[in-house]
Amino acid sequence: MCEKHNNEGTCFTYVDSGLKKVLLSCIVNGESVCAYIDPTMTLLNFLRRELKLFGSKEGCGEGECGACTIIMNGVAVNSCIILALEAMNESIITVEGINKNGKISILQQEFISHDALQCGFCTPGMLMSARALLDRNPNPNESEIIEAIAGNFCRCTGYVPIIRAIASAAKLEREEMKNE
Amino acid sequence: MECEYKKNVRYLSDAIRGSTVLSKFDYVKPELLVEALNYLEENDGTKILAGGTDLMIMLRHNAEIPEHILDIKAIPETNMLEYKANEGLFIGACVTVNQVAESKLILDKYPALVQASNLLASYQLRNRATLVGNICNASPGADLAGPLMVYDAKVHISSTEGSRIVDINSFFTGVKKTVLKRNELVIGVFLPEVLEGDSSIFLKQARIKGHDLAIVGVTARMTVDKKIKLAITAVAPTPIRITKLEEILSSKALTAELAEMAEKEVHNIIKPISDVRSSAQYRIHISGVLVKRALLHLLTMGGK
Amino acid sequence: MSDKEYRHIGKPSDRVEALEKVTGQATYTADLEFPGMLHAKCLYSPYARAEIVSIDVSQAKALLGVKAILVGDDIPYLVGLYMVDKRILARGTVRYQGEPVVAVAAVDEKTAELAVSKIKIEYKVLPSIQTIDEALEGKILVHEDINDLEYIKNVFFPQPDSNIASWNKTIKGDIKKGFEEADLIVENELTLPAVAHAPMETHVAIAQADIYTNKVKIWSSTQSPFAVRKLLAKALHISTGDIQVIVPYVGGGFGGKAGIHLEPLVTVLSRACKGRPVKLIATREEEFNQLPTRAGMRGRVKTGVKKDGKITAFEIFYDWDSGAYADYGVNVGKSATYSGAGPYEVPNIELHSRTLYTNKVFSTAYRGFGHLETHWVIERQMDMVAQKLGMDPYEFRMKNILRPGCLTISGEEISENSGAPDQCLAAVAKEIGWTGYRSEAERRSNINTGKLRGKGLACLQKAPAMPPHTSTSAIMQMDDDGNVRIMIGVVDIGQGANTIMAQIAAEVLDMPIEKVKVIWDTDTSRHPYDWSTVASKYTFMGGNAVKKCAQNMLLQMKEMAAQALRSSIEDLAHKDEYIYLIHHKNKKIKYKDLALGYAYENGNGIGGPLIAKGTYMADGLTFLDPVTGQGFPALDWTFGAHGVEIEVDIETGDIQIIKIASAFDIGQAINKKLVEGQIMGGVLQGIGSAIIEGYKFSPEGKLMNPSFTDNKIPTAKDIPMEIIPIIIENPQPDGPFGARGVGEHPMISVPSVIGNALYDALGINFYNLPFSPENVALAIGNGLKK
Repeated sequence: MCEKHNNEGTCFTYVDSGLKKVLLSCIVNGESVCAYIDPTMTLLNFLRRELKLFGSKEGCGEGECGACTIIMNGVAVNSCIILALEAMNESIITVEGINKNGKISILQQEFISHDALQCGFCTPGMLMSARALLDRNPNPNESEIIEAIAGNFCRCTGYVPIIRAIASAAKLEREEMKNE
Repeated sequence: MECEYKKNVRYLSDAIRGSTVLSKFDYVKPELLVEALNYLEENDGTKILAGGTDLMIMLRHNAEIPEHILDIKAIPETNMLEYKANEGLFIGACVTVNQVAESKLILDKYPALVQASNLLASYQLRNRATLVGNICNASPGADLAGPLMVYDAKVHISSTEGSRIVDINSFFTGVKKTVLKRNELVIGVFLPEVLEGDSSIFLKQARIKGHDLAIVGVTARMTVDKKIKLAITAVAPTPIRITKLEEILSSKALTAELAEMAEKEVHNIIKPISDVRSSAQYRIHISGVLVKRALLHLLTMGGK
Repeated sequence: MSDKEYRHIGKPSDRVEALEKVTGQATYTADLEFPGMLHAKCLYSPYARAEIVSIDVSQAKALLGVKAILVGDDIPYLVGLYMVDKRILARGTVRYQGEPVVAVAAVDEKTAELAVSKIKIEYKVLPSIQTIDEALEGKILVHEDINDLEYIKNVFFPQPDSNIASWNKTIKGDIKKGFEEADLIVENELTLPAVAHAPMETHVAIAQADIYTNKVKIWSSTQSPFAVRKLLAKALHISTGDIQVIVPYVGGGFGGKAGIHLEPLVTVLSRACKGRPVKLIATREEEFNQLPTRAGMRGRVKTGVKKDGKITAFEIFYDWDSGAYADYGVNVGKSATYSGAGPYEVPNIELHSRTLYTNKVFSTAYRGFGHLETHWVIERQMDMVAQKLGMDPYEFRMKNILRPGCLTISGEEISENSGAPDQCLAAVAKEIGWTGYRSEAERRSNINTGKLRGKGLACLQKAPAMPPHTSTSAIMQMDDDGNVRIMIGVVDIGQGANTIMAQIAAEVLDMPIEKVKVIWDTDTSRHPYDWSTVASKYTFMGGNAVKKCAQNMLLQMKEMAAQALRSSIEDLAHKDEYIYLIHHKNKKIKYKDLALGYAYENGNGIGGPLIAKGTYMADGLTFLDPVTGQGFPALDWTFGAHGVEIEVDIETGDIQIIKIASAFDIGQAINKKLVEGQIMGGVLQGIGSAIIEGYKFSPEGKLMNPSFTDNKIPTAKDIPMEIIPIIIENPQPDGPFGARGVGEHPMISVPSVIGNALYDALGINFYNLPFSPENVALAIGNGLKK
């Protein structure tokens, strides 16, 4: 067993792929980030393990369930099937980055008031898909909302409260835009 | 009842598929095409990375254990999405499925391609998946193959030895197999110009209303001179053109009766397999239904 | 309906933990990292049944960073809730494709996976049991030692030398006589496949063993931390108190995280790694293929009725394809006996429920606990009997439905306070505009459109399936700022019950709900005991415990206030966080001034910190008679009904749900928003079972759809066009504020109601699930003439 450290009960070395670490620099939630990483690391694992941003979740690891959804360069993507290195010089937003100066955003508040979450595991990914939708289309109809979240599985809510929350957030955001 | 495509895929463990990438690879992202082609030439077994929606899953299951990954997204030629009047549309290898789906021009000229793009997979996946990636993966059920085939698209291929163009209808050679040589890279796909009045439709049957792989995909096109082109996916080792039926349909005026005849005739032509997604019996049945519906749609469109 | 005006009860309060969840702050078990933590991966059996000939781990051991490798022979423990029949890792033989055989702990996941890939196992493949009939035939025994297994006697009845893990029965009246009295006898057989729970968070557990003692600390995504503790203690022959189970946020359970799953394995791995914490996260494929499912089932039902529609007798055989281990599945089988004939009066019944071992991934508790499965059989049968009788299925149900004075099949009398299934049925029938079956002529007249519509009705019932002496408890403390903390051992897995507890406490104490904090991260060494978060019992039992606890806190405050205000307790009342003298309202003391005891002006102190307790024991319940199944198992009945209108594309077989109305008599909705959330979520999960889901096995017993690619669940595009939750409130006197549970019920009878609507639309009866487009189209092709 582990020859190098066999006699020490406490061996903290990560072996990972054993490849030489490579520099990755990108912008995450508005902040510049630089780290040396295993080149085989996925973007999701980079966010969670390196940056300790645990909001994004792994639900399936193969781009089906959407729990890992983040926004990269303005579009919603599944971070579990993207290599971390592909994010070089790109801009990434996670659920930790959609608040407004420490206050929760309208979108997040509408999720709360419409009970658009139960166990909460799909919620970060769902919020990111919704955020990406409202950023590209401030006035989506119901079928556009459904299409935006069709790749985010939820086993708890039955989706209806989520659709209502997003529609309501869209309306409130448009009103806020008018007032600004 | 093993899926046909699984025979071509290697697993380390027979039991439950692995979930951690074990490959140790070099990742390169050249900005010049010639660099990419040289890399491909020098490094056997290099995997091309564009959207990654197929490759990353293969890596995760350790079905592929490459030592070299070539990210082509920085190569300018692969990012071109360009229409030239009277010539046609060039879709570069890194153009995403959503870019195709959301293009008003493509919707107007090549509607089946937009319809297929919208039905490919979830919004997040479509933001990454590429049209060229879909055909290079060459699944028998590749959603975008049918529309490309009915438009007689041309696949632009480059290597250190030069360039060549292959008609999409000769591009697929078997389950997950194409004519591509190991040192070749698809730069993009070219769809010839279509005239005003050309119409097409893509119909897909899946198990759920949400995004799913196709049980069967049918693409039908009517050109301005009333020629019918018909392609079906997921009913053969590769996507196929139903040339036999095209001849019959193109020789007469399209009517509802002809559409119903086509529905029955399809049953005699295709020989799909049964797999975990569907029985052969249902595939045959639904192919007929979708062919009929596609033709009826063209009939109503043909009035314009 | 209560005419009381409540401050919090009935109000749609926001979920108390919503902020954590929408900001990504909520910590789930996989988010936890500890110093020195190792990662575990397992190697699974590729065969449904095989002898393990040899295991060679030498290459894996040699890898840098591998800290422990365990095989079955290293772990001499047996685990099991009711039948102690499972090893932590397979030893000697493997019993299902997907069973874990070797476990590796290493410094990181890649190393663990690489080690797993280098392990060589030689198997001798053996023939296996793949079907219910093969299991019953018993030529091969899944557990050759079934006669020697330890199990709970007089509750479960394993049959010697067989694959029958338990044969439970209900025998009431005399079915021979019942069938003789009948004017019509209808017999049918229906089946449904296994499905996955598919919570968005897979199973995950972390264990940190103390290598100097027996102690172990476990973090797990579990519904039943106290059951984990108890079962692990039993399996490892250590004391319950040696085990501490902590539950971070749970990303859904649906029954799959009740009982005990990954915890024993991570515990023995941590011990083998000199006490370093070991984390095991199930991948999605492992979630489908290794971890348990809902059982497949075949029901054979024979019903006797009189011309006027009165049921005279039922004879039912439920055979559960329960997989390789009994786990919770055997209890699902048993619970079918007291509830498995639907909410109807059945004077004569013989119900046999046989939980069978097969060589497939095993089954466990699943939302509905067997009731979706039994109601699939019964509610389809009810319609098919009505068809043969030429009677409106609505009228047929109303003729037999349980009303006050009727007896259930386990001999319990329904009262005015039990809930009203007839009101539920009437409500949904009205909502969908039910006017009876379509005629054949009506169907024909619409065939040219290619789309046929149909309507269906179905009823349901469920009471918690739990031991008769199940209990739960709560502790409350108050801080000196007047904030109240509730500790309760039940887990909020997303159903929202912690919010309900806050509402109940805030109501009793008449204080703002923002000042009532339910303490998350249930911890068996801190939180007070609860049996398990299952059975739709949290609101009922937890609510009662919290209500009593809050009342206890009030009493403690009043005791101190009585002294301070020099009055007697009877003259004190409470309002808005004050205890006050009823006849002199300005003589009052704030709660927070009593929180740490009361201090007089001169410095004297009386009383002490407020620590209140409340316990609830299910009372008056009994075991079921081992022969007749008679007894009082039901804490409370929640009755309900669905009405649905569907449209079928007769060429493709696609079903569109136009409208589904779902009514439940829940006594009192404590939080309408949360109740509707359960209804909408449960109905969609039921639609999944009805139209989409189902495990597929190869003839050799290999799972063919072990991932979301081919094991689909409903997406946002699969929702009904309209879903109408209907809440009916006939209060349950012993429920907190009259409330009954509703967590599981929305899913039950959804497949049946759609099946009934398919008959109305197509004139075709379906006997098997799911109603995939393929199954519907091919049935139409075979049945409906154009």
